[in-house]
Amino acid sequence: MTLEGLDISILGPAMVAGVIVLSTHVPLGRQVLSRGIIFIDLAIAQIAALGVIAAQFMGIDEHGFGVQIAAAIAALAGAGILAWTDRRWPKMQEPLIGTLFVLAATGGLLLLANNPQGGEHLKDLLVGQILWVSYGQLIPAALLSIALLAFLWFRSGRLVGAVFYALFALAITVSVQLVGVYLVFASLIVPALATTGISGKRQLGVAYAVGILGYATGLALSAIFDLPSGALIVWTLAGCALLVQLIPAVRRR
Amino acid sequence: MKKQIASLLLLSLLTVPAFAKLQVFACEPEWGSLLEELAADKIDVSVGTTALQDVHQIDAKPSLIAKVRKADLLVCTGADLEVGWLPQLIQQSGNQKVAGTGNGYFMAASQVTTLDEPTVLDRAAGDVHPQGNPHIQMDPYRVLKVAAALTARLQLLDAANTATYQQRAADFTTRWQAATKRWEQKAAPLKGKKVVVHHIAWVYLEKWLGLEEVGALEPKPGVPPTSAHLSGLIETTKAGTYAIISAAYQDQKPGQWLAERTGVPLVVLPFTVGGDAHSGDLFGFFDSTIDKLLGAAK
Repeated sequence: MTLEGLDISILGPAMVAGVIVLSTHVPLGRQVLSRGIIFIDLAIAQIAALGVIAAQFMGIDEHGFGVQIAAAIAALAGAGILAWTDRRWPKMQEPLIGTLFVLAATGGLLLLANNPQGGEHLKDLLVGQILWVSYGQLIPAALLSIALLAFLWFRSGRLVGAVFYALFALAITVSVQLVGVYLVFASLIVPALATTGISGKRQLGVAYAVGILGYATGLALSAIFDLPSGALIVWTLAGCALLVQLIPAVRRR
Repeated sequence: MKKQIASLLLLSLLTVPAFAKLQVFACEPEWGSLLEELAADKIDVSVGTTALQDVHQIDAKPSLIAKVRKADLLVCTGADLEVGWLPQLIQQSGNQKVAGTGNGYFMAASQVTTLDEPTVLDRAAGDVHPQGNPHIQMDPYRVLKVAAALTARLQLLDAANTATYQQRAADFTTRWQAATKRWEQKAAPLKGKKVVVHHIAWVYLEKWLGLEEVGALEPKPGVPPTSAHLSGLIETTKAGTYAIISAAYQDQKPGQWLAERTGVPLVVLPFTVGGDAHSGDLFGFFDSTIDKLLGAAK
């Protein structure tokens, strides 16, 4: 046990990153759950990573803004394909998402056979480390999240077809680089899953509370017990989701 | 008011450390062990990684940032070995003392000449380090050079203990040179032996002991081998290879695969301090490496 990591200047940026990710992922998570396509975030993240590898293949600077554009374009293209398959074969959307995921992941390996350094960027993109984020990095993410939330609010939370997939692709491309794919998955699914028993505005409130509590306790415990932060937050999110089931109003169906 | 002043005084007493020992953060265990030899209890050392970890990547823990934040000196390998995490760690710590330009930033590979420095930087060659091969800890002569440079740095940062550092450095040098001679005598039968390696991380050891590297499981670092390469490697390995060498932190499956197909023994070397039960310090690390290499003959 140690208290030296329990420092707001160390954990602060990570907590803010968590709140930014939660802000868009909690409302999106509810839709993902109701559509029954929970692995879509993994597929989109992998496609964004494939876009980065392809961009390097074409000789685009590996650290610049071009990489972000490539990631976003690839994610949007993937979202376009998924929106189309959703219309065309709605019953087969989940297996199609799975297939697209493995194609993107292995496609990356095939491209990387001749470009090994891309491997590090692929890893950066998929295993963003929540502790390494700086406030400077958070500003573009926050601006994009505000834009997405405003759009959601404007549409009163209902998203259909291509619009849902496009918004989702942009949100995932940003969040995966901040906190990594495990935390993105957990932020999306766990708060939504914990609150399936309630509906309307209260659902959103409780889901946000679960998410924020999960990140806060995860970060604090990772400092106290000196454990990797991202992995521990996934567990505290799940723990908080279980804890709120003790409240009858949340559990009630 | 008096009460406030009193509590402020009390607070300031609490925050002043009892002993202002030099705080050192070592990225790898070999430098932690070297610091132990050179400074013993004059400094506080914390080591960021273990021998069973791939130092190209580490998990971000809050304590790592806290340790770098309070460090007066950072001792790492450099040559881009830690490029995946050390820059972020330093930036996140906000500690100017250990940032790239200050005296608190000590990169071992910058103190010696590195091997395999690429003349042309080409992606096609694999995940190569533009500043040469960073795995210098396996050459005792380079370790000694690093020790001398590190002693100078310790004196610069902590002049009060200059005498101790000088005396310990002299003592270490004597013991190290005697041990090096002993290792070289013991390892004489290894001279000219052919080896196949897992990852091309052994150039310093090979050059020192006169081993000849005839092939690699991962000829381009970070790229999985193709089937054509592997079938060629089986032939090469069968043609009088002494041993297949792999590091303790690596997956042993590829090495075992090759060993089964060729009958050539797989030798898992500690790679750094702490890599096996006998590698408790730098001396044990070299003892164990040479014993294990000699053991392959049986």
